[in-house]
Amino acid sequence: MDEINKIFEEVKGQGRNVLTYEESRKVMELAGVPLNKIEVGKNLDECIAKANEIGYPVVLKVISEDIIHKTEAGGVKVGIKSDSELKKAYEEMMESVTTYHPGAKIDGFSIEEMVSGVEVLVGQTTDPQFGKMIAFGIGGIFVEVYKDVSFRLIPISENDVEEMYCEIKGRKMLEGFRGMPALKMNDLKSLLLNISKLVENHPEIKEMDLNPVMVTKEGLKAIDARIILE
Amino acid sequence: MSTDPGIKALFEPNSVAIIGATPTPDKIGNRIMDNIVHYLVGETDKSKGFQGKIFPVHPKAEEIMGLKAYKSILDVPDEVDQAIIVVPPQFVISVLHECGKKGVKAAVIITAGFGETGKKDAEQEIVKIAQSYNMRIVGPNCLGIYNPHIQFNGTFADEAPQKGTLAFISQSGALCISAILHSNKVGIGYSHFISIGNKADVDDADLLEYFADDYKTKCIGLYVESMPDGRKFFEEAKKITWRQPIVVLKSGRTSYGAAAASSHTGSISTQDASYEAAFKQAGVYRAKEWFELFDVAQAFSTQLPPDGEKIAILSNAGGIIVISADKAADVGLKLATLSEETIAKINEVCPPTWSKQNPVDIIGDADHVRFRKVLQILVDAPEVDGVCPLFNPGSRAVPDKVADAIYQVSTTTKKPIVCAFVGMDHLEAFKWLNYKGIPTLPSAERAVIAMKALVDRGKFLRRENVDSLTKKYEGCK
Repeated sequence: MDEINKIFEEVKGQGRNVLTYEESRKVMELAGVPLNKIEVGKNLDECIAKANEIGYPVVLKVISEDIIHKTEAGGVKVGIKSDSELKKAYEEMMESVTTYHPGAKIDGFSIEEMVSGVEVLVGQTTDPQFGKMIAFGIGGIFVEVYKDVSFRLIPISENDVEEMYCEIKGRKMLEGFRGMPALKMNDLKSLLLNISKLVENHPEIKEMDLNPVMVTKEGLKAIDARIILE
Repeated sequence: MSTDPGIKALFEPNSVAIIGATPTPDKIGNRIMDNIVHYLVGETDKSKGFQGKIFPVHPKAEEIMGLKAYKSILDVPDEVDQAIIVVPPQFVISVLHECGKKGVKAAVIITAGFGETGKKDAEQEIVKIAQSYNMRIVGPNCLGIYNPHIQFNGTFADEAPQKGTLAFISQSGALCISAILHSNKVGIGYSHFISIGNKADVDDADLLEYFADDYKTKCIGLYVESMPDGRKFFEEAKKITWRQPIVVLKSGRTSYGAAAASSHTGSISTQDASYEAAFKQAGVYRAKEWFELFDVAQAFSTQLPPDGEKIAILSNAGGIIVISADKAADVGLKLATLSEETIAKINEVCPPTWSKQNPVDIIGDADHVRFRKVLQILVDAPEVDGVCPLFNPGSRAVPDKVADAIYQVSTTTKKPIVCAFVGMDHLEAFKWLNYKGIPTLPSAERAVIAMKALVDRGKFLRRENVDSLTKKYEGCK
């Protein structure tokens, strides 16, 4: 049994069908999906070391099972550009988190590579008539507003990827609009074909989202992942 | 590839039994008998009907329309390829068992009152019978089947389609009649025509391969409301679209479960988006409107797709020039930029007031000679991949002569030609062109849409022939 199956078995064994963020990321990583870097630090010194490993800017997030709404608790700080900014963010976070949740057990901090660029969506869904479908389009929080997304039946070919791309009305945004990094067709092909293969090999996957996937100079980077099993 | 004998028996039966045939005039069982015996195209053209063996089945009658009647299909002394069933719904199951025992290859259940009225169990029973006797079943709840090439009208509609190259499948029985009346009026002919009903056993996908292998068929058209096994249709369609074009009108665009979906992708995926994706991916042309279905099917079954994407439009009416240019822009049909050489050639045959560009306005005083000369120059121009001659009647040009001019030019080229004779006033010329295999439509916009469909088909075929791994991405076109 491969590692992806192991994760799915574990999730199902716990009576769940929705993978956690960490589990979803792990599956995506195993499937060859490019993700932003994430490291974990236990204290400020470790956080600084990890941030330097990843490279600034970074996002700092508190890890605690007691704190469900991280943002409200002040447990998320974005756009940290240097060691001194990280130190300041860390101290502010400790204070606000303990004020918000006195006695919360803090397991550590995640230091995440902060990537910016145009946001696209890659997803998958299961249709009652056609089975496994893959989706690609303009991503971010306005997906449901623009609905600028193209679908195909899994498995897909390279030609299908090109046609999906050409169906996106807002594709000008992905072609180096106002100096923003342009989407490279080969990156998109490899990402979509990897997802297609993942779902073909694991039909127990019912739905998934990679949203957003950032179009960066270095290529595509998914910064959020969500997998739901049948 | 072996053809399913059950599917073959639906369209090429050597013998047919009508179970529920009756001597009582105007009953459905009587009309089907009449239609089998006489093939009616148009109001007066009552020509000879089906030439195979015909076995009426009726509990009491000795004879129907001069043919010996049988009490049960089991009494028929010969082999029966196709049984048409028009008995009341409560007798359908027992009649089907008899057909199975008789070794009937295919049954067509005209009788309604099954799945469409909520009786899903009875429909399940039909599927089981089909499987246990290895007999294919069409319907229930359908109009029946036509094969114009053997004058076979196994339906209860009097009007039948004329011979041609379009194979058509309709989920709506009533719309079949509308399609036939329209087609007979404008000159569209059919290779096969089937009202498929509730699709208990035989569904759309089952017929695609048979139609693809049929030499008379040049295009498959479908009217679809639901496709319970969409994946099967997709897989079958994908296998054949490179050699046989498919045009589908899929109605019903409601979204399902969007609110209940738990992912972004789930919330924006609708049933219609899935159909759209499946059709595109399989190379199936999706018509959005009823007449577009026939316009495009007619274009596909008569014209070769162009080698390129640059189209020329010509008309004798300035208004049509502007309307067609707008429509071309709307649908993304690319207009050819005429070379200096082409412009010089047109200069020689047109007054100096002609448009000097594409779309080519040859001016309201154009006669059929000018029409023919300019059309010839355009089809011969290397920068032009296909031409839409859009004729506006009521001017100097005589419609019949314009139609002949278009036909003459069409014989000199492989480039596609899609015409409009604006309005329906010159039906004879219109119909004659369609018979001659030049798709001719009553509006400029419809001609532009049909030409765009041909351009897209050409692109699809070129794509299919390219090894995607060695191809370089060249941007959206």
